[in-house]
Amino acid sequence: MATEQELSDFLTSVEKRAFKRSLYHVRDEEAALDIVQDSMMKLCEHYSNKSATELPMLFQRILSNTTLDWFRRQKTKNALFSNFNEFENEAQGDDFDFLEINTASDSVAQSESAEMVLTQAQNVAEIEEEIKKLPPRQREAFLLRYWEELDVSETAAAMGCSVGSVKTHCSRAVQALYSALKAKGLHP
Amino acid sequence: MTTNFTLRNDVETQLAMRWVQGLDASLETLPHHVSERLRVARLKALDLQRVQLKQTASHLSINGGVATISGSDEEPNLWSRLASYLPLLVLLAGLIGIQEFQNDSNAHKMANLDQALLLDDLPPDAYTDPGFLKFLSVPSDAGQTQP
Repeated sequence: MATEQELSDFLTSVEKRAFKRSLYHVRDEEAALDIVQDSMMKLCEHYSNKSATELPMLFQRILSNTTLDWFRRQKTKNALFSNFNEFENEAQGDDFDFLEINTASDSVAQSESAEMVLTQAQNVAEIEEEIKKLPPRQREAFLLRYWEELDVSETAAAMGCSVGSVKTHCSRAVQALYSALKAKGLHP
Repeated sequence: MTTNFTLRNDVETQLAMRWVQGLDASLETLPHHVSERLRVARLKALDLQRVQLKQTASHLSINGGVATISGSDEEPNLWSRLASYLPLLVLLAGLIGIQEFQNDSNAHKMANLDQALLLDDLPPDAYTDPGFLKFLSVPSDAGQTQP
């Protein structure tokens, strides 16, 4: 069973990221704060008897469900999932090839200079904007997999879908982000 | 084919990790009111957990005259329940005993007083008391039938 200190430390470590995640989904600061608060309350009320190692997965699941509940309450769930394929078609354009990126710029890893990091920091707002535009399932998979650093199977469990779906969502999300950022003239 | 797929995955991961680094950096620049609201939400949640813990630990058991709080979720058995009522029963029995003792004591005092009055000499002033004169005028058998 997690101690109060462990629970407090855990919530402190995830609260900001959880807020941002919710904000990307609902695009409403107050709603995002409410969702995070509800998720914290649910975790403490129902799962405080779980061990500290179980808390991250539980919290991700609760946060996802609470966000979904918010959309249900807003009666926009259908709208949320209706445009699921829009980005996929755009992202699968002929001009996109990751291998080309890789061979053309083998220097990607080497180019992480201070200047590059600074440029990235300036482009954060653009990245966030493009993340908000992703289809919900792609966005959720992308954030869970890469930002929350869950592995594929954990992401699948949190999203209630198959491992294959997670891989597809993540891949398409990255492609879509790459295309969008490139179109804006940013160095992805 | 497999090599290409792996390579593609690596590049995707590399790109994604670079973008989320930017997102991590943005967490440090959250507005104060948002950070404060998150802090309050966290404290509320922890308060709720404290209440939950108190509720589960509120089972009071008395063992050998010592009251202890146990956190067990098990239902208390019959003997434990009876034991918890024991002090109340002792208190009630004590109160009833004191009441009976006081009643006996008062009755005994009144009986002694009556006995002393009846056995004592009648004072002359008693004949000036209208109530005593009235008592004397009533026949003795009528006095016995009166309630």
